[in-house]
Amino acid sequence: MTKPVVIVVGADKGGVGKTTVSRTLLDYFSANNVPTRAFDTESPRGTLKRFHPEITEIVDMTTTSDQMKIFDTLNAASPSVTVIDVRAGLLSPALASLRDIGFLDAAKSGQITFAVFHILGPSIASLDEIAETANFMQGAKYFLVKNFINDTQFFQWDQATYNSYFHRIKDATELTIPKLNEMAYEQVEVSSVPFLKFVANKGVNDEAANYSFVLRGYVRHWLANVWSEFDRIKLTDLVGSGKSAARGGEK
Amino acid sequence: MARTPIFIICSPRPLVGKTLIGRLLTEYLLLKHGTVTAFDINLKEPSLLEFLPKVTETADVIDTYGKMQLMDRLIVNDGVPKVIDLGFHAFDEFFKMTGEIGFLKEAARRGVSPLILFVADTDRASARAFPMLQQQIPPNALVTIDNEHIVRGELPPAMGRGRVLRIAALPVFLKTYIDRLTFSFTGYLRNEKDSSTELHQWIRQNYFSFRELELNLMLQGS
Repeated sequence: MTKPVVIVVGADKGGVGKTTVSRTLLDYFSANNVPTRAFDTESPRGTLKRFHPEITEIVDMTTTSDQMKIFDTLNAASPSVTVIDVRAGLLSPALASLRDIGFLDAAKSGQITFAVFHILGPSIASLDEIAETANFMQGAKYFLVKNFINDTQFFQWDQATYNSYFHRIKDATELTIPKLNEMAYEQVEVSSVPFLKFVANKGVNDEAANYSFVLRGYVRHWLANVWSEFDRIKLTDLVGSGKSAARGGEK
Repeated sequence: MARTPIFIICSPRPLVGKTLIGRLLTEYLLLKHGTVTAFDINLKEPSLLEFLPKVTETADVIDTYGKMQLMDRLIVNDGVPKVIDLGFHAFDEFFKMTGEIGFLKEAARRGVSPLILFVADTDRASARAFPMLQQQIPPNALVTIDNEHIVRGELPPAMGRGRVLRIAALPVFLKTYIDRLTFSFTGYLRNEKDSSTELHQWIRQNYFSFRELELNLMLQGS
């Protein structure tokens, strides 16, 4: 039996692109035929749910009942992968809760595959979160996601600062999410469809849409780059689904 | 349904004859098809818009909105041939964009046949730009324009290995004559009784070359 996989996507800082990365993950798993469910902690109104309503449930991670809804169903639920989009400011408290309920110990002992995508914005405040979050990462796969929401360099021009953040955690893996063209991003927002559907020129109910060819091209190019990063970290292996070669979304 | 041709005349260099070739080609297509749409992406050079204002629109690829306005029209198989006079300043941005959005693949899927007409020169910018185009454009969609007036019989060998379309140089007095804004190539063919004049033959030779290009495009698409 496949081990349940839990992927937490979060950051304590807001506006760094947590939900965008969650959406690319859901598209990636969908294209690779990995059954996935998602939880959106932006209660009561979730952004992730707007784009992936069929597989997303809105929860309040601070309540015990919703924690039960997520973690007590890990073995029973048919999708093997659970993606949790943790809203701004809740990453550290959420990880503390997971430690308290014994989830992190279960991950450490190998009963559960647990991965954290820590989304970093281009600010020291964002990078300061790394040390704090790293304390919870024993037994977890820790991904530091440099999300290029603008033309930032992530302080690479200042090696001392860069190294103090990115080379401090030994087992962390860096991931780069390139910047998506602003108009393309806005058009997908307006359309309220997953990136994959936008690229395929489809509406919410799979009806033919009429999105700009240029904007679809930008999204396709960007999504392919993001997915190549997921391929690089062997994300499908992590979730126990084997190769990612023949997915349909890249055609 | 027949495929719609798009001719993209380009060079990373100014003043190599892009607009002249654009004028010739636009007038040829107008004569043959009765309809044509030309797009002028020139802000800093002699402009197609000034010569053929009735069939020419301005476009830009500086921002995403401009790219959408242009490319979303180009990708439609509407039977109207298109000519793009791509200014040197827009060369890099245009081909970066077409590479990113997968223009050639989408065009093939939608019944549109782009043909890139690269106006050769002997300088470094052209030498660098040509291999970049070769990487992105299939050989049958890339044509080097050997404009004798520019390269003077010294077309760089690397640019001469694929398909080449030669444009003969005109004497200076004829060059000045055709550079008048009111001059029309088709009009000249129609009105000049003496078909043995140098200009008459030059125009006919170029129209014939364009016809060959179009025929090749049609054969590739069928």
